Amino acid sequence: MKALIEAGVKPVDSYRPGENKRPWTFKEKLMLGLTPGQYLGQALRNPFNWILGLIFAVGLPLLAYRYLFGLGVVTHSSNDYPWGLLLGFGLFCMVPLSASGFMLGTTVEIFGRHDFEPIERLALLNGLLGYFFAVVYLLVDLGQPWRLAYPMVISFGPVAVLFLVAWHVATYLSVQVAEVSVAFFEWIGWLGGKRWVRKIAIGLTVAGIILSTLHQGALGALFLYSPGKVHPLWYSSAFQWILFFASSIPAGLCMVITVSTVIKHTMAWRCDRNFLDNLDYCTLGIAKGAAMGLFTYFFIKVIAVAHDNEWAYLATGWGFWWMFEMFFGVMLPIILFAYAIHHRLLWLVRATGFLTVLGICLNRLNTSLITFNWTIYQELPHIFEFIITITLLCIYVVVYRFILYRLPILYTWKEAPQEAVATEPVKTEPRVSAGTSTAPATSSP
Amino acid sequence: MSGISRRRFLAASAAGCVATTFAGSKKALAAGTFGGYPEGMGVLVDITRCVGCRTCEAACNKEQNLPDPERPFDDMSVFDEIHHGQQRRTNEKAYTVINRYEPTGSDQKVYRKVQCNHCAEPACLSSCFVNAYKKTDEGAVIYNDKVCVGCRNCMVACPFNIPAYSYSSAFDPIIKKCVFCYDTRLKEGRPPACVESCPQQVMTFGKRDDLIKIANQRIRNNPDLYVDHIYGEHEMGGTHWMYLSGVPFDELAFNMHLSNEPILNNVKDFLGTVPMVLAIWPALFTGFHLLATNKKNGHGHEEEESKHNDEGGDQ
Amino acid sequence: MKNWNAATMNLLVLVLLFGLAGFAGATDMPETVVLDTLGELYEPVEFDHTLHTELGEDCSICHHHTTGTGPESANCARCHADSPESEVVACSDCHEAEPFAAGVLQAKAEDRMRYHKDKPGLKAVYHLSCMGCHEAWGAPVGCQECHARTPAGDDYYHADAKGDAVTH
Repeated sequence: MKALIEAGVKPVDSYRPGENKRPWTFKEKLMLGLTPGQYLGQALRNPFNWILGLIFAVGLPLLAYRYLFGLGVVTHSSNDYPWGLLLGFGLFCMVPLSASGFMLGTTVEIFGRHDFEPIERLALLNGLLGYFFAVVYLLVDLGQPWRLAYPMVISFGPVAVLFLVAWHVATYLSVQVAEVSVAFFEWIGWLGGKRWVRKIAIGLTVAGIILSTLHQGALGALFLYSPGKVHPLWYSSAFQWILFFASSIPAGLCMVITVSTVIKHTMAWRCDRNFLDNLDYCTLGIAKGAAMGLFTYFFIKVIAVAHDNEWAYLATGWGFWWMFEMFFGVMLPIILFAYAIHHRLLWLVRATGFLTVLGICLNRLNTSLITFNWTIYQELPHIFEFIITITLLCIYVVVYRFILYRLPILYTWKEAPQEAVATEPVKTEPRVSAGTSTAPATSSP
Repeated sequence: MSGISRRRFLAASAAGCVATTFAGSKKALAAGTFGGYPEGMGVLVDITRCVGCRTCEAACNKEQNLPDPERPFDDMSVFDEIHHGQQRRTNEKAYTVINRYEPTGSDQKVYRKVQCNHCAEPACLSSCFVNAYKKTDEGAVIYNDKVCVGCRNCMVACPFNIPAYSYSSAFDPIIKKCVFCYDTRLKEGRPPACVESCPQQVMTFGKRDDLIKIANQRIRNNPDLYVDHIYGEHEMGGTHWMYLSGVPFDELAFNMHLSNEPILNNVKDFLGTVPMVLAIWPALFTGFHLLATNKKNGHGHEEEESKHNDEGGDQ
Repeated sequence: MKNWNAATMNLLVLVLLFGLAGFAGATDMPETVVLDTLGELYEPVEFDHTLHTELGEDCSICHHHTTGTGPESANCARCHADSPESEVVACSDCHEAEPFAAGVLQAKAEDRMRYHKDKPGLKAVYHLSCMGCHEAWGAPVGCQECHARTPAGDDYYHADAKGDAVTH
């Protein structure tokens, strides 16, 4: 794409290509305004697509295999480990990483911090896709995925925590679709829809916070069903749901940092000045939130260990593993964030954001898979499960990229190309995007 | 309004509400803890009698139309099967298995039957979001495969690791576990197939309350023969299948770290918090919104149609 | 003398006969008992009763107190130390073939004064009674050593299953 843009091609970013030209058609918008030849060319030249192709060549047939022959052919068919990597990663990791939607939505809409608007849509999309693909992972993992809607319409088991998760995820997906639909309506040119959604934005956001609090917590509460099976250091009799909820906050925020870093380095052509110029500022602000969230989580975790009197476990093998997770996933990021934010080292902020994402994933995998059944035996998931998990993750990336290329998430939709678009949404002094320490900080975020 | 004044109407309604609240409260105040299933049947498994003949496995296989086993049911080499360092467990082809143990300090082999314990307050039932499990009045915990989605939360929840899943089925995988022969026998008051088949009457069938009395009597009459504990009397809130043993239970792979509370109690606090969040969060965050924003900033949602960047950056 | 001798002889013979009959104990004690009330999976058992009476010192080892001899177990003796001979002594006369039939359970529940609510069924008492001594004395303990399996039994136990061990 970069080559094409240098050659003068301009991807679709407005209602019509020029003042006296007819509006873009839907098909043209899909192709970013490129000719099919140009589009295919850029797709084939992209080395990332070659890797994706390889992965899909193996993974997609495996997916078909799973559906044709049952879970038994792609898993160990374990009755002791009913939940494997598909849920351990696809549900338990992806959901906290998708908490970005309600975090940035709250920041901008509830707290009125419109200085974070440039990154808000990305955070919302991140949230939507994360939850959507959590459901996709479920559809692969469930024994009878065609019955996915049963807890909603056929047979209710309201005593179960999973019932809450199912309803909340379904409702929250609707909320997120609505929130992202604003960008979609802009893109397809239906401003009436956009107006209507904007009217209920506050309601949607508050609903989003409620639903997120409860289902992030509920995913943690699921492990309350198996107190003896999860290792005590990862199990809190009283606070399991708070731990999961509290850790989802830095998870979502750091996922936004990570994704925006990837975008900055691979898709800068799609971003407009509004996004790129404010990215460092937003990143710093998000990092501050993440650091506070991490510190709070650390504090809660220590309380939880004290509450269940689990100190003795620290001196065991699992105890060292717990300390590893706490150090690299929580304490080190806190230290690095503090240093990086203070010195405005954006590269370090971004690296720490990614480290935190890994730390959160480690925590979720530890709880759901690695320390699960710690008293009996450990089982590595089937290699096919690994492959399918990676394949679905790649599909997620492809869908993510597809939407980012087209919808006005990273750029501002223009009614006509020569419309001047102000890049500063808040009437304060321009924020400095600090990459070096020589840049003066004229206003703090 | 007609003859009644609005004030009178509201006062009457309020009085009515108060009256109904207090009228109903007597019952609510009387509601205490869960009383169990007084008519529930149970089975007492006396491990001191078991000789490991596996006839119960054969009986179950026949009664429940389970698939043919890999090895004959009188093949004792299955006791040597070890997978992942564990002895046999229930699986999609076997609702019950016998395992052999060699307790310390004795070269006498001891055999133990493993099957669903039909808890009074089952964890599987508590964790099922489509209500696929049901605890019948007769005491059986049964399963409805017509609504099961295959989430396998029940397998995670069961403290005894009993439910198995038919992973081998592509289009109709379901949970496989002992159902106390409910459909074929218990409904009519008959004992399950395994109980009837046992040559040594390891299993005694009867009302759960009576079985506890019988168990206590056996312990009393033979103090040197039995460990003074009925496993399942209180564990996990009480199970309808209980055990007597002549050797310490933990030597027979019984989980001795289980609480006497049913698993459901672990999630009650969280479930109670849910409506609180639903009630408090709206006001809390709407409050934050009102406090954090004011018209002076100039950001209103009145500016929907403005060409201000707000619009573009807004959702 | 001749008349007196004949009468005495007759009397003696009669006395002897009755005496011998008395010595034989219960003249209805069987030599062999065929246990066939339960058999579907296994052939009927030809139980050599005479052999067992010679092995055991006391009828009460198997028959509790029903043969008039005191019960073996101290537990039983608490109530049955002086219990007389019962009308019936065969196992099947007291131990039900279906111990958990609804009628049996109901009778137990209704009789509040009944002590023996834990009486095992017939199949169980055969095995529980026999196995202890058989194990201690090196007598047959294998299922088919006492009763051969019927074809229905072979089917029941899936005798023709030839698979390898289950892998998980």
